[in-house]
Amino acid sequence: MAGLELLSDQGYRLDGRKPSELRKVQARMGVFAQADGSAYIEQGNTKALAVVYGPHEVRGSRSKTLHDRAVINCQYSMATFSTAERKRRPHGDRKSSEMSLHLKQTFEAAILTQLYPRSQIDIYVKILQSDGGNYSACVNAATLAVIDAGVPMRDYVCACSAGFVEDTPLADLCHTEESGGGTSLALALLPRGGQIALLQMDARLHQDHLDALMEAAMTACRSLSNVLDGVVRQHLQEVSLLTRE
Amino acid sequence: MAVDMRLPTVRKQVADSLLSATAGKHLVVPGDVITSDTGFMRGHGTYMDEDKLTASVAGEVERVNKLICVKPLKTRFNGEVGDVVVGRITEVQQKRWKVETNSRLDSVLLLSSVNLPGGELRRRSAEDELTMRHYLQEGDLISAEVQSVFSDGALSLHTRSLKYGKLGQGVLVQVSPSLVKRQKTHFHNLPCGASVILGNNGFVWLYPTPGQQDEEAGGYYTSMEPVPLADREVISRLRNCLLALAAHKVLLYDTSLLYCYESSLPHQIKDILKPEVMEEIVMETRQRLMDQEG
Amino acid sequence: MLKSKTFVKKTRSGGVMKIVREHYLRDDIWCGSEFCVECKQDSTVLQQDACIESNLLSSPHYLIPDTNVVLHQIDILEDPLIRNVIILQTVLQEIRHRSAPVYKRIKDVVHDKEKHFYTFTNEHHRETFIEREQAESANDQNDRAIRVAAKWYSEHLKNAPKAEELKIVLLTNDRANKEKAEESGLVAYKCEEYIKSLIANPELVDRLALTSDDQNEITTSKLLFPEHLPLSRIQAGIKSGSFLQGTFRASRDNYLEATVFVHGEGEESTEVLIQGLQNLNRAVHQDVVAVELLPRDQWVAPSSVVLQDEGPKEDDKEEEAENMLRCEANEAMLKPTGKVVGIIKRNWRPFCGMLSKSQIKEATRHLFTPADRRIPRIRIETRQAAALEGQRIMVAIDGWPKHSRYPNGHFVRNLGSAGDKETETAVLLLEHDVPHQAFSQAVLSFLPKMPWRITEEDMKNRVDLRHLCVCSVDPPGCTDIDDALHCRDLENGNLEVGVHIADVSHFIRPGNALDQEAANRGTTVYLCEKRIDMVPELLSSNLCSLRSNVDRLAFSCIWEMNHNAEILNTRFTKSVINSKASLTYAEAQMRIDDTSMNDDITKSLRGLNKLAKILKKKRIEKGALTLSSPEVRFHIDSETHDPIDLQTKELKETNSMVEEFMLLANISVAQKIYDEFSECALLRKHPAPPPSNYDILNKAANSKGLLIRTDSAKALADSLDEAKVDGFAYFNTLLRILATRCMMQAVYFCSGMDSDFHHYGLASPIYTHFTSPIRRYADIIVHRLLAVAIGADCTYPDLMDKHKQSALCNNLNYRHKMAQYAQRASVAFHTQLFFKNRGILNEDGYILFVRKNAIIILIPKFGLEGTVFFENKDKPSPRLTFNEEAPTLTVEDHTFHMFDKVKVTISLDSSNIQHQKIRMALIEPVIPGVSVALPEGEPEAKKAKLDR
Repeated sequence: MAGLELLSDQGYRLDGRKPSELRKVQARMGVFAQADGSAYIEQGNTKALAVVYGPHEVRGSRSKTLHDRAVINCQYSMATFSTAERKRRPHGDRKSSEMSLHLKQTFEAAILTQLYPRSQIDIYVKILQSDGGNYSACVNAATLAVIDAGVPMRDYVCACSAGFVEDTPLADLCHTEESGGGTSLALALLPRGGQIALLQMDARLHQDHLDALMEAAMTACRSLSNVLDGVVRQHLQEVSLLTRE
Repeated sequence: MAVDMRLPTVRKQVADSLLSATAGKHLVVPGDVITSDTGFMRGHGTYMDEDKLTASVAGEVERVNKLICVKPLKTRFNGEVGDVVVGRITEVQQKRWKVETNSRLDSVLLLSSVNLPGGELRRRSAEDELTMRHYLQEGDLISAEVQSVFSDGALSLHTRSLKYGKLGQGVLVQVSPSLVKRQKTHFHNLPCGASVILGNNGFVWLYPTPGQQDEEAGGYYTSMEPVPLADREVISRLRNCLLALAAHKVLLYDTSLLYCYESSLPHQIKDILKPEVMEEIVMETRQRLMDQEG
Repeated sequence: MLKSKTFVKKTRSGGVMKIVREHYLRDDIWCGSEFCVECKQDSTVLQQDACIESNLLSSPHYLIPDTNVVLHQIDILEDPLIRNVIILQTVLQEIRHRSAPVYKRIKDVVHDKEKHFYTFTNEHHRETFIEREQAESANDQNDRAIRVAAKWYSEHLKNAPKAEELKIVLLTNDRANKEKAEESGLVAYKCEEYIKSLIANPELVDRLALTSDDQNEITTSKLLFPEHLPLSRIQAGIKSGSFLQGTFRASRDNYLEATVFVHGEGEESTEVLIQGLQNLNRAVHQDVVAVELLPRDQWVAPSSVVLQDEGPKEDDKEEEAENMLRCEANEAMLKPTGKVVGIIKRNWRPFCGMLSKSQIKEATRHLFTPADRRIPRIRIETRQAAALEGQRIMVAIDGWPKHSRYPNGHFVRNLGSAGDKETETAVLLLEHDVPHQAFSQAVLSFLPKMPWRITEEDMKNRVDLRHLCVCSVDPPGCTDIDDALHCRDLENGNLEVGVHIADVSHFIRPGNALDQEAANRGTTVYLCEKRIDMVPELLSSNLCSLRSNVDRLAFSCIWEMNHNAEILNTRFTKSVINSKASLTYAEAQMRIDDTSMNDDITKSLRGLNKLAKILKKKRIEKGALTLSSPEVRFHIDSETHDPIDLQTKELKETNSMVEEFMLLANISVAQKIYDEFSECALLRKHPAPPPSNYDILNKAANSKGLLIRTDSAKALADSLDEAKVDGFAYFNTLLRILATRCMMQAVYFCSGMDSDFHHYGLASPIYTHFTSPIRRYADIIVHRLLAVAIGADCTYPDLMDKHKQSALCNNLNYRHKMAQYAQRASVAFHTQLFFKNRGILNEDGYILFVRKNAIIILIPKFGLEGTVFFENKDKPSPRLTFNEEAPTLTVEDHTFHMFDKVKVTISLDSSNIQHQKIRMALIEPVIPGVSVALPEGEPEAKKAKLDR
């Protein structure tokens, strides 16, 4: 048989979602005491942990120091047990380096780095379980961690993947959908202003479809930002409740 | 040997009714527009987005006349002149030390801002520059006060008082700077038999209450005398109490620490960090603090 | 609600992986019934009056079939009578895994609004989702899921108002499942039980597929065939190399012989010969099978014997027949021989054919003889045997048990009486899978509204060429004119030549129903008396057809040439033209030849003709082949539509004139679109045939003492030109006919998927089809590509997707091949009709091929090929000596060579109404006991001979 049917005639996806529906999102902020900011997110079976240190004095070579803004240092890694087949190297391979770079670009667009000249902000993300949309989970987790660290940002950065199957855009792809052929893109959005922090697509897609696909991804990002917003506000209320005097 | 093991438990949800207690506060998240009125001044934690004053951090809005700031829940230490800090030397440079004080850039302790042995009015010679490492070397902990703030936000410290200087034997606890309550003094000799320096930067130093004789040493003498077990136990208990309070986001000052210490006495020191014990102790502390206030 | 689905999967490297998938359960899936008030439905599918008259149920009911019922009884479900069926997702998915054709069919049924089939996504519904229980097999789980869903439906609709009467009926053939369903209070029937209970429609019973329970009665208990191996063992065998996997291809001429085409790694693919019933082991043409090679000492050579299954006969006879195959074969002829050990995938489709009624009068079991000789006879059960006699019917195979000589099947539908022109046409269209239904309303809705005229909008990106003196040249009676030409002198002394092609892509926009239908049909099919259009008539014969004296949209290819026919400049543009004349080839020829005519059109034609001659010469110098095939044209009686005369096609200069320019346009366009879209240009290639293909041609030429060089197209063309035998003018044509048969098929392909673009026959490095968009879909795609290339139109996604493009090419190639076969079959049928009216004729012919027990003769006058057999079942065979090398066949004392001239009688043999055929018998040379003397007296005798 020729692969799996990613979208049934009735309009349900393999896992029973409609094309525009996201997976279940659960998130927590402030999971570590030692770090300046930390967060954990689950998007379906994709689980990611993000930790933020900083802003602090630039470590390592001084030459990296920027005199007008902060340096953002990202590291993406995947736990060896995160995929179905055990990974050899948790980080440092090409894919991880690329992902790190993408994260860096995304957050440079969102964090108000000019407020912290000559300092450095570290964002470390780790995928604990991988089921598609790793980039998005990382961005979303990192956003929460950055907020937790009290580092000023223009807006949330929400990321979501979207794919194109049988002329229908699907939001928030799971691993099976990602690997089922077809084009997918990852989009990081500052939802309030609608600015795009990052847009990445590796495969070919016809120009006519791009708008539909991006629209789907943006809608997904917006709904995701609502979820994150809820998480942040909840956290904010809880903490301010405890510290009230 | 019996090992105490515990499984992760379901996180407690704060009841909605309690949360509504925060309704009076103006809480914002990044990207929230605070006001589109142009008559206000932009303070920390905000930025102007097309003439709208927008929050850039998650936290509580504070207004002082026309100035609007957002105070984030937790952040790195933003030092102000006069703040007491505890810090660690990270680098010895020419005429100055770099000190890690949990702020966004390392703080500076100028050679000219320290009291060197031999009295306050001693001239700094070239020889002193060469022996800087002799006084303070990398990894040493110090207590100091913020002397001034540089334009890029870095702090300049001084230890021009006998109460500041190099720290000897003791325990460092790191908590969020926002949990340290600003008070007249941050040096406390607690009645339980230990002393504490509550640095504004969230670094808390617990040490045995010094005897009178130490004062003479100009702060650069480190006693290597073994600390008696009783003192060590008190310090350990205080450390765990501090962590318990921090975990429950209780503001730290001498009274809260002391009450917590007293509440913890029925428990063994190592048990204090168990979630249920921690909760019980903190509850009791809060209760006592409220009674005292009310 | 969220459930995760966890399962363990073995990886390719042998490791074990645990895969966790999310499985969301929803509460917004509606039940699809008109009764229901609870579900928030977008649209209801299942009707309120879902009543089929039945003995078992008097009230309205919805049917829920289980997987096996859908798989086996799809014919029943497709019947318009069966409505209001709930297809569960579980069922649908299982079908998808098990049979792609059935899946496609059930999907089509679900899409049909009239059928009221509803697909219920039960596995994602909160209340019908079930979790796998401990030690429950996948099958049991599915059965349980079906029961749970059925149960849910009955409970769910119980609450609905007015639905008290409604019943949910589970159809299952599995006894255990049925019992369990009844236990839980469901109404469950066996499929047969239910269908038989339908009062008003007894004919449905015939269409029931036989299930394994009740097929033992007829067959002897003796096992006729070895058991098929289970799939797991087959796979293991294929992996270890002890078995080979391939497509089973039955021989057309010999029912006891077949080849299995094994696709090897990379390029190499081999053929394995299978001989004898036991070894064929119930494989049917086109199945994917696993074969085991026999030891080398049991290898045999393909027999040249022609054998037909004459129906049930004694075992010993069969053995005898099999023995016959194994006669003398020299070492060199031995081919890898094997036996079928298992079937990997059945490729059964409904077959057209006729019923051979059982001798027993009341019997309900009959044999069905498919029209395609490669398909075995099929045993079916029907009560309407009497009514179906002499009718063309369709039958589907259900299974082939190992103790049955023939596969079991069931009746699908009646096509009409045999011999009837309509029926026969329908049969040949069906057999060749030619879509020939009338265009649906959805398709027609995309046609332009009449009256149509050219608007301002249309003129955008178009050049007005109405002032040019354009004319079209086509065969007589042609209504779909897709090309027109012009030629004029330019001021600088050069010539401007234009080829104007109907702008079909202007009317057929990508992706709409009209486009999809055209893409599916792929080509217009021309039968002798009928045309099956690819696009609706309004377009093909009116708006797109470049008729004279009306404004028409065109796609023009305009060259500037010098008088040596060298292209100086090429220009493509969309245009508007106004053809000044629609000529036939003969009319155009007349104008060119008539020196008294000097109007613009004639001058233009003369210019074109002159250039065409130069172009053709150049082309032939480059090595283009001119091949030949005997083509005939029927003169059809205008009233009865019977063929009244036969005429071989005559080629005029003007034919080749038009052809030359079309070739030129195609090559120019091919180059242009390939330059522009190197990844997704649709091109046409004609691979060079492997040298072994030329064996027969070489042997034939050698027999006349000639040498044909086949090392290159050029060499072949030259040596064909030189090959002439004095006093035998037709020899060259015969050679060319043979050469044609050595060629490969030309195919469409997508440039991104292939590297070899060469067109062997035309000796062109690149080629495509551009000039007939009305009748070929490939041309429409090429038009679109070209339009994008010149910026006259915008692109769309599928056009740039090389995989979709390539899939389209496959369909187009398939449709073209089938259209060709259908065309040939239609010619054959009309030839038969022709001879039916003519009676018996005596004609001269040439031997085209020599076989082991027969010679194949070509009658040039009719372009007809026939076989003369020298063996007959009930007559002692003459002495036959076959020489493979020459090849010659010596019958008694006469030796037949290829190309020998013979005289034969031709008559129509209608003893077998299904396979009416042209019978040929030898008159000259006279061989006693073989040739016939009196053509008039012969038919009776022969008929008697053939009756069994």
